[in-house]
Amino acid sequence: MRPFFELLKKIIHTGVGKTRFLMASIGLGIAMLLILVAIQVHSDFNQLLYSTKNQNETADFLVINKKITNANMGQTGKSAFSPEEIDHIRQEPFVQAFGLITSSQYKVVVQAPGDLHFATDMFFESVPDSFIDVKNDDWKWNAGDRTIPIILPSDFLNLYNFGFSLSQDLPQISQETVKALPLQVVISGNNISEQYIGHVVGFSDRISSFLVPASFMQWANEKYGTGRAAGTSRVIIKTPDPSNPSLVKFLEDNGYTTNQDKLKFSKTRMIVQTIVSVVGFFGLILLLFAMLVFSMFIQLIIASCKKEIQLLVMLGTAPVQLKRYLLKQFVPLYIIIGVLSLAILAGLQYITATILAKHEMVISPWPGAGVFAGVAGVLALVYLVNRYTVNAYVNKES
Amino acid sequence: MQIQLENLMPVPLKDKLLQRDSGVWNKEVIFTPGSFVKIKAPSGTGKTTLVHYLYHIRYDYTGKVLVDGRPWQSYSRNEVASMRQQQVSIVFQDLRLFEQLTAEENITLKRVMLPQPYCSAEKVKEMAARLNVTHVLQQSSKTLSYGERQRIAIIRALVQPFQWLLMDEPFSHLDEDNTQCAAALIADECKARNAGFILTDLDNDQHFSYDVHYHL
Repeated sequence: MRPFFELLKKIIHTGVGKTRFLMASIGLGIAMLLILVAIQVHSDFNQLLYSTKNQNETADFLVINKKITNANMGQTGKSAFSPEEIDHIRQEPFVQAFGLITSSQYKVVVQAPGDLHFATDMFFESVPDSFIDVKNDDWKWNAGDRTIPIILPSDFLNLYNFGFSLSQDLPQISQETVKALPLQVVISGNNISEQYIGHVVGFSDRISSFLVPASFMQWANEKYGTGRAAGTSRVIIKTPDPSNPSLVKFLEDNGYTTNQDKLKFSKTRMIVQTIVSVVGFFGLILLLFAMLVFSMFIQLIIASCKKEIQLLVMLGTAPVQLKRYLLKQFVPLYIIIGVLSLAILAGLQYITATILAKHEMVISPWPGAGVFAGVAGVLALVYLVNRYTVNAYVNKES
Repeated sequence: MQIQLENLMPVPLKDKLLQRDSGVWNKEVIFTPGSFVKIKAPSGTGKTTLVHYLYHIRYDYTGKVLVDGRPWQSYSRNEVASMRQQQVSIVFQDLRLFEQLTAEENITLKRVMLPQPYCSAEKVKEMAARLNVTHVLQQSSKTLSYGERQRIAIIRALVQPFQWLLMDEPFSHLDEDNTQCAAALIADECKARNAGFILTDLDNDQHFSYDVHYHL
């Protein structure tokens, strides 16, 4: 085929409109790059959110409760989740683990020991152990133990240390001291009142409540409780990605609320996703125009060599040969553009990975599989459109 | 490859041709493979038109041109191309060389159209020598005289395999000597392939020992 194509080169001039062709090539390159960047950024973002290396940054625990509004205020039942609602939450795809927060059905009074003269009414709640961020061997309770391990919210001690104690002229207390203090815990209910020793084993940043082991809670609720099961008004979920827009939407749709701070990332993410989509969209538009120009370019070549093509066919050149020749003039260029775009993207990705690594965010320094698929897809599309154009116009002229 | 005409009639010449008696138009004609056919016709009786119908580059006719029993229209573009590469060759009256190529390139184009060329480059040189055009092979075909072009067109038609060679006044611009050389070469090449030809001309001639004569 080669010597024949050499001669065809002298007959079918593909040199017409070189600048236009160059522009279209650059356009195709930019379009390809934009599309690849959109795909890559999307994949990078997923890596940041879901990859095990970055897991600590994103996986999070959310305590969810119903919003207390003026309408449901004062009606305890209204703020509790029904079993259907609980099932509903449990089945959402973004819920990795689910736990009920059980509240106490008895009265609790806590007194500080010695001369601290500190006593307060309180409540307890319990969650399944897997949701607790305090790891301590003392966090267990067996029937008969007089000592109850307690987890306090970090915020609680902060409120005391930096708000209350300063204004009341009381001493500030360190976490260690609190852990060392044996608290007198008086639990009453069902006409019984008993004293226990409370032992603070840790401070939780995750759950803003006074936590006791679930085993104690169950036992105490039976012993001191009123018997009627109180509804669950707070649940805790583990989610791989608290910025997941569908999670935010789910909460909003159902009138649930959680620590809004943890959802803040969601907005940023939506903005980034929008920008990435817009970039990808522009890439597609540009690709469309590049393909249009290429098609017009092929039309131009074929139209300007109409007579030559007709004579070639008359002499016995198969339309297949002509098509193959014409495609051969373009396809290598497309492949070069594809490889170049891929190389530029790989460079960008490497730089991005290096910069992010400094901020302890791990992404692969190599372009993702999606990018290669993207290159293949765009090239295949361009090839198909070209082949269609060549087919249509060669058939028309021959 | 058998070529057969069934009531072939060019649409534009219909009225004119119906008024005269013709051995080809509106008749049943079978061109037997391997035979040397001469079609004699005065100007304006559709000589070139007939050749173009036989080569399937004009279609404005009624009746049928059957190739191996099938009308030309039933062949696909690629089938037609393959036949033009291997079974039927042509010397156009207006030659139809590519002006942007040299004489030799014009021949080579046809020669290498088949991935495995039928003729070697040496064979082309040999034919060029027999027709006295060796000296113009490297020239752009634009600069050739009509006679030289005609001989290049003849060589181009002879570098491919064929069963039929169509020639439309192939010697119109050649002197007697060159005509003899060209006719001898054509006869040799046809015999080498066991091929036949269909030659159209204005007058009677003795260039070949024709098997069949037709009047158009």
